[in-house]
Amino acid sequence: MNQQMAKQQTKINELVENIEKVMVGKREAIELTIVALLAQGHVLLEDVPGVGKTMLVRALAKSVDLQFSRIQFTPDLLPSDVTGVSIYNQKEMKFEFQPGPIMGNIVLADEINRTSPKTQSALLESMEEKHITVDGVTMRLNDPFFVLATQNPIEYEGTYPLPEAQLDRFLLKLKMGYPLKQEEITMLDRTSNVHPIDTLTPVMTREELLEKQNEVRDVHVSDSIKKYIVEIVSNTRKNPLIQLGASPRASIALMKAAQAYAYIHGRDYTVPDDVKYMAPHVLSHRLLLTSEAKFEGKTDKQILEDLIKKTMIPIERGS
Amino acid sequence: MRLKDMSTSKWTGIALYIGSMLLLMEWVLPLGQVTDTGGTHLFIIYIVFCFVISLIQLPMWVAPVLKLTGLMFLLNYIFYEPSFFSLAWLGELLVDLQTSSQALLGQSWIELTPVFRTVLFLILLWMMSYLLYYWFVVVKRPFSFVLLTFVYVTALDTFTLYDGYVAIVRVFVISVLILILANMNRIVDQEDIKVPSGRKMAKWIAPMAVVVFISAAVGFAAPKFEPQWPDPVSFIQAAGQNGFGSGDGSGAGVNRVGYGEHDDRLGGGFIMDDTTVFFATATSPRYWKVETKDQYTGHGWVRSDEGTPTTNESGHFPHISDYGESVERNETEAELQFIDPGHLNKIPYLYGTETVGTTVDGASFYYNHTTGELASIINEEQNLVDEGYYLEAGRPDFPRNAMREVPVEHEESDEMPERYLQLPDDLPERVSNLAEEIVSDVDENRYDYARAIESYFEDSGFEYATSDVSIPGDDEDYVDQFLFDTQRGYCDNYSTSMVVMLRSLDIPARWAKGFTGGERAFQQDVFPGEGSNVFEVQNNNAHSWVEVYFPEVGWVPFEPTIGFENQANFSTGESIDDILDEDRNEDDPLEAPENEDQSDMDDLLDEGNESEEDETVGAIGQDGNFNWLHLLAITIGTLLTIWLTYMYRSRITASWKEQKLKRKPSAKTITKSYQFILKLLEREGYQFQSGETLREYAYNVDRMLGDRQMTELTQYYERFVYREEDLNQESDQFYQTWRKLTKQILSK
Repeated sequence: MNQQMAKQQTKINELVENIEKVMVGKREAIELTIVALLAQGHVLLEDVPGVGKTMLVRALAKSVDLQFSRIQFTPDLLPSDVTGVSIYNQKEMKFEFQPGPIMGNIVLADEINRTSPKTQSALLESMEEKHITVDGVTMRLNDPFFVLATQNPIEYEGTYPLPEAQLDRFLLKLKMGYPLKQEEITMLDRTSNVHPIDTLTPVMTREELLEKQNEVRDVHVSDSIKKYIVEIVSNTRKNPLIQLGASPRASIALMKAAQAYAYIHGRDYTVPDDVKYMAPHVLSHRLLLTSEAKFEGKTDKQILEDLIKKTMIPIERGS
Repeated sequence: MRLKDMSTSKWTGIALYIGSMLLLMEWVLPLGQVTDTGGTHLFIIYIVFCFVISLIQLPMWVAPVLKLTGLMFLLNYIFYEPSFFSLAWLGELLVDLQTSSQALLGQSWIELTPVFRTVLFLILLWMMSYLLYYWFVVVKRPFSFVLLTFVYVTALDTFTLYDGYVAIVRVFVISVLILILANMNRIVDQEDIKVPSGRKMAKWIAPMAVVVFISAAVGFAAPKFEPQWPDPVSFIQAAGQNGFGSGDGSGAGVNRVGYGEHDDRLGGGFIMDDTTVFFATATSPRYWKVETKDQYTGHGWVRSDEGTPTTNESGHFPHISDYGESVERNETEAELQFIDPGHLNKIPYLYGTETVGTTVDGASFYYNHTTGELASIINEEQNLVDEGYYLEAGRPDFPRNAMREVPVEHEESDEMPERYLQLPDDLPERVSNLAEEIVSDVDENRYDYARAIESYFEDSGFEYATSDVSIPGDDEDYVDQFLFDTQRGYCDNYSTSMVVMLRSLDIPARWAKGFTGGERAFQQDVFPGEGSNVFEVQNNNAHSWVEVYFPEVGWVPFEPTIGFENQANFSTGESIDDILDEDRNEDDPLEAPENEDQSDMDDLLDEGNESEEDETVGAIGQDGNFNWLHLLAITIGTLLTIWLTYMYRSRITASWKEQKLKRKPSAKTITKSYQFILKLLEREGYQFQSGETLREYAYNVDRMLGDRQMTELTQYYERFVYREEDLNQESDQFYQTWRKLTKQILSK
């Protein structure tokens, strides 16, 4: 098992390094994206334009040799622009389904908060259900199916904030942040001739990825860890600074994320560190802070960190 | 760093080697006493010589040459007249060696010469110097030799006359130091520990010194069980018919009971010896007097005047019994047959003896009136004859009334030499104060005073004992210690104390030695109708008592020792009170005890029981002044143990947990062991933060400790806890890491 795990880890490292060729200094974001991919979850990237959100998804799609599609959300985008539409073929004398961009493996939903809630929910529902219904016909989405949605920070004008129920469907919420100056210079160097994304070659096949997704499900989560996860999640519901705590779905998400995180670090069992590391990423977008907390200038991340610090870590079996 | 390490291990090596040398000396030291080996100091010198040469680490060929030269020099010094450099003696040596080698090959051991035996022994010592170097310095395994030394010393102490009292303490201290050093050396080697220097070293050495000192002191002071079986020495000696007893009270340590010459240092317990000295045919068991001594030194008895013996072939010495006219005499006869007289070369005789004789031709006798010694001369040598002796005596009947008329204090007209009033200048005053107190309400006459002091011991709860009798130190007085401190002892204590107290009252008195009457040798009458019996006198019967001088009467024996009866006759006084009062001292032949010299008179039976009880109580209560010392030692010992246990609780728990982890790495043990590490670290200041994972904690700890052991251990533990799988093959790695880490934390 250990040898196999080591092999998997090397493979994952190859993947990360491959993407790093394009994304300079964003190892954490890359790793987290892979975690979400392996845990069969979706990622919400919240950041200003131009920090490489699209590049990350494209690099990932290219590295895993998956079909990449992109939906640019605009206020006038209709649900059928996402899912696809049936068009009457006059020659054949019947309706033919023209698949929308959602029928790819890796879907970049750019600026998801710029479109109307109707279109948003069309995407988000398909993310959860893994199939779409167009004109009474239900169609399964591709496997793997991975959505990476980006959104500009809500303060920007002309946006439709995602409702809490929709946010819950993302496994993780990430922030890219600006690169360091040195990293930015490296980036300039790399893009001076050919854009590195064009030279990227796949390091993993679709089948390999599916296999890994299955393996992640087998990563052992001990009772003590499960208890720890539940403890953290239920603590979010008790915290006076949080108006709405995380849902049970959050517990499942946290466990899956921890499993995947343990997996990419070559372990077939989770440790509290996995949970502790993943918790802010998994939970921060599922909380609704009280106005007091907002008024005091506390971010969800800070509150979560405090909360995790106060949660007892299991150091014995079955405790 | 490396140089420093080397020098440290070199120094411990030297220390170990010196320790081994000291242990080897403990092997050689008793030889002079338990074998007929002489000049042990020369062997000791040779041992030191060989060891020093080994230590210097001379070139391969120099050391043996030097050692051989030393051996030759020693041989020359011991056995040969010509000087070492004359070389003339070498020829003799070669002849010696040659004949002995032939004898050796011919297995005629008796022909081996002392030279040859000495050569062999010296070579053995030489080889030992190599062997011990190998054991102690090269392989660093000193335990077997240490153990052997203990066995050797204890065996010698148990089965021979050798007294290992001090030797065992020395061996203990040396051994513990050696074992600690060797162990330290091994740990330093194995664990690759940086040997601390300066203050840290002192910090390390201090507990070692404390441990060695405390354990030696506690071991020394702690009460010990009485031997669980009788001392085998006397049996061994009796079996070998080897009776060379050093005598009753000849000085230090525990002696064998028996008649001895040297009384200048009394004290110490003795062991019983039932070797028969002589058989006596007599009407009743009477004291057998051998000699008297007059000068008390504060530690024992010596003679101020050796006197001039009168020689007489007929053996008639009316002087022996120059009693006054008031003393009535009863004619009696006795015969002596010596069996194993040991050191005794004088004839024991009865009070009132006038004539001594033997059937051997050409024997003459001499009697020394000053010392009271009677002896026979055969072939111009003072010797006892196997054929035995017969004695004619007029047993004195001392007139009590006449004696009561004698004033207490010595008068010039007594014509008694002043030496019988001698007392050491530094005799503590409380002795004479006690004497005065004892006689304060007694009729003022010499006889009653003597009686009062004689009975004082029994009335004041003194205890008769032959073991655990203390020996006074150089600045202590034998009598003073007995009267005021120990109140426990045997005849020498009682008789000496009585003489000294009498003298302090200005009553002339002296110390008499000899034997008590002995036991009846046969149940049946050997000489039916004759009224005489055969009595067996053993070394156990060696005794000492008191003689007090009464003008017009003579030297009268008194018996202060508890459990012993005065065998002398005192003529009955006129008043009935006197009779009752003196009843116990009466000796009516019809009612006389047949063989007992201990308290067996009817009215003393109870007292006899009491004295037994006293002894039991005394054994528990011990000597009053030692009690608090023991208590103090035990209290300090206990407190120290508690303190040390507290100080080293982590280490103790660690080694306990280590054993458990090694033996049975169960899930519970692993959890507990890991938590123990957390506790240890917490005690060292590495606080486990709330919300900190084991991994983070281990990382922080390792950063402080400067290695990766905690992380490594935590990885095993994580797998065990979070993967919920038993460690199986990894349990040994877990154990090893755990052990190293524990040691590292504890050595902080």
